[in-house]
Amino acid sequence: MFRNNYDNDSVTFSPQGRIFQVEYAQEAVKQGSVVVGLVSKTHAVLVALKRNAEELSSYQKKVIAIDDHLGLSLAGLASDARVLSNFMKQQSLASKMTYGRPIPVERIVGMIGDRAQTNTQQYGRRPYGVGLLVAGIDELGPHLFEFQPSGMTQEMLACAIGARSQMARTYLERHLDEFAECDRDELLKHGLRALKESLAQDKELTVDNTSVGVVGSTSTDGKKKLENFKLYDGQEIAPLLEASLETTGTTEGETAGDAMETDS
Amino acid sequence: MTSIGTGYDLSNSVFSPDGRNFQVEYAVKAVENGGTCIGIRCKEGVVLAVEKIIVSKLLKPGANKRIATVDRNVGIVTSGLLPDGRHLTSRARDEASSWRRTYKSPIPINALAGRLGGYVQAYTLYSSVRPFGVTAIMGGWDTEGELEVDGQVGTGPTSGGGGKINDHDIGEKISRGGPGLYMIEPSGQYWGYYGAATGKGRQAAKSELEKLDLASPTNNLTLNEAVKEAARIIYVAHEDSKDKEFELEMTWISHEGGPTKGRHEEVPKELFDAAVKAAKKAMPEYDDSDDEQGEEGGDQMQE
Amino acid sequence: MNHFPQAWGRPRDDIYGPYDSSHLHSSLPQSHTQSPAVTGTSVLGVKFKDGVVIAADNLASYGSLARFTDVKRLRTFAGTSVIGFGGDVSDMQYLDRLLQSLDIRENYSSHGHSLNAKNLHTYLAKIFYKRRSDFNPLWNNVLVAGLDDEGKPFLSQADLLGTTFSAPTLATGFGAHLAQPLLRRLVPHDEGSVKDVTREMAIDAVKECMKVLFYRDARSSDRYSIAVVTKEGEIEMKEDEKLEGQSWAFADMIRGYGTQVN
Repeated sequence: MFRNNYDNDSVTFSPQGRIFQVEYAQEAVKQGSVVVGLVSKTHAVLVALKRNAEELSSYQKKVIAIDDHLGLSLAGLASDARVLSNFMKQQSLASKMTYGRPIPVERIVGMIGDRAQTNTQQYGRRPYGVGLLVAGIDELGPHLFEFQPSGMTQEMLACAIGARSQMARTYLERHLDEFAECDRDELLKHGLRALKESLAQDKELTVDNTSVGVVGSTSTDGKKKLENFKLYDGQEIAPLLEASLETTGTTEGETAGDAMETDS
Repeated sequence: MTSIGTGYDLSNSVFSPDGRNFQVEYAVKAVENGGTCIGIRCKEGVVLAVEKIIVSKLLKPGANKRIATVDRNVGIVTSGLLPDGRHLTSRARDEASSWRRTYKSPIPINALAGRLGGYVQAYTLYSSVRPFGVTAIMGGWDTEGELEVDGQVGTGPTSGGGGKINDHDIGEKISRGGPGLYMIEPSGQYWGYYGAATGKGRQAAKSELEKLDLASPTNNLTLNEAVKEAARIIYVAHEDSKDKEFELEMTWISHEGGPTKGRHEEVPKELFDAAVKAAKKAMPEYDDSDDEQGEEGGDQMQE
Repeated sequence: MNHFPQAWGRPRDDIYGPYDSSHLHSSLPQSHTQSPAVTGTSVLGVKFKDGVVIAADNLASYGSLARFTDVKRLRTFAGTSVIGFGGDVSDMQYLDRLLQSLDIRENYSSHGHSLNAKNLHTYLAKIFYKRRSDFNPLWNNVLVAGLDDEGKPFLSQADLLGTTFSAPTLATGFGAHLAQPLLRRLVPHDEGSVKDVTREMAIDAVKECMKVLFYRDARSSDRYSIAVVTKEGEIEMKEDEKLEGQSWAFADMIRGYGTQVN
């Protein structure tokens, strides 16, 4: 029934020091549809591909707003993500209540990491079967974190998880140096293009199957103003999709020019 | 490993006929592939350093700190399963703050090591949990100054000793406090160290640490020198996995009169860069062209 | 000796009668301390264009007894905020410990994310409110001085009920009656006047008020602490100041003040 004797539960190490149950949980993340996240100096963007069970059914929720300054996208078991996101909503609200301060992104991500770790060290529990990309902004600027079922959390410049996400990661690695200086729209374009790389051949990004979340800050006269986490779904997506399509031909040149400017 | 498959290694808290707990030994295996961590203890303080292998280009450089502050004067770094390391660190923080709540003073380093050892050991006792897949190196400084009385609001009496014992009362110099460096293993076993190393490159690091002769009572390694040695040792320990890039992270704790005033802090950028430069120079394959590349690398690390 | 270990070492029932356990089942509701014991008096705070001045004397009184004369009632937090405590001194010590542990937690991550004075004030007010709702109040009235989210001078008050109040000049205890009216002369148009107040003006006004308080508040002392928080986030703290230029000439004009008692 089992592949080996060491993969029955998450409290057994294999002779190599691995915990198979946790590794299998990571596989559940790869079953989920792809989500992409990336940051610039001012913004953090999440882009997700939604799936529907059948033609006439609704699409699965992929991006969840946590608070004004914070949101996440998920790949894997959506119900596990809901547990974690509800927890994050509570913590975020508690921070605002007690200190009047938006909770630092690193801290709240650490909290769900610690929760997930508990599930990998005690019998009778299972690891969370979901991977998250958490995008948020705090006094240090915008952040993107990756969360894994093992409880591992890492701050990333860009990241993609879920089915066929390797293609998106390749795109992100290729354009990594451009992201920092991108404005909101350019960053969104990169996100959507990375997502597109991961699509199966017969698939296309549509207003129905694409979700986008953006958070950032705009500075006017040296004063930073928070741009609340904004979730784009349905018809709102249309202009974003269009924008990412129309300039495909010319952008290569544009971005290259930008990069040179910043280099000098 | 001869007993693999005989069934005694399938559950934690079970002894094999020859008296081993295999699950603990397997947990050690998880540590043996982790990034190298070292700690150096000298008279003026303690230095902690860790080699962070860059697993993806997409990771944010300079973020994802691995050395954690436990209390103002204690730092901890772990090798092995990182989420387990975070669990242990968070327990250490709880211990430190509960000690403060009870005794109204910072936790002594040896006491904290004891508490953590006990906690880790408890995870080898039950089949309902698994051992920690980490080895932790913990460094700190017990203050050599006089601790404030808890809730002290004034300066005390203006005449007389006021309950304080001074040097001249006992006719010799009062000595208290000092550096502390401990390593806690998955079994819950812990020892005090002059120089400690764990993770993938531990063998190379250990032999380098031994050369420093830290245990000698006449050893006069300064804290600044210890920082440079720590950086160099991480570079030496990295030799075996040279194909992978890495980031160096270092923290230190000095005595009250030293640069960190008894606190656990990141090594400041200038000293860090100097240490990295010196470390690269000391590598056998060093040549000048490496230098510029190195500068960039250094910036990136500090972010 | 009988066969019941639980009775060993206790007064024998046959001699002393059964244990009277009625006090264990008292019908009175549980209660907590509802009054302060050792207290500090007024705290003063004034905003000026580039920061905040805050001051409190160094006395802790036990009723009318001047019990401790070198008590530091101004506490710093994270090197950027100052809290001035009025009211119960042991509750101040408790809050100080609470803030210490908060500060340690805030410094787990090495960079950024420090709680500013505004965050601190919100937190303290919540603590006070929680405790008063438990009928177990922390008997303090505090001023928090520092900077807000935008790096502008911040001064606000929180009391034992969790009530908060903010103004360019603030005073607790007797100071609310004696010093506040004097301090308000400095800022006739409230927040709008702060830009015209210089650091020296603010310090002078506070010192003058400390003097008036020493003249008229029998629980005050002429030793005091004063701190200036600047826009740069730095704190200049002086903890052993002595009131200067006192003149008691007015005293013999006042009935009940000094030797003339009726």
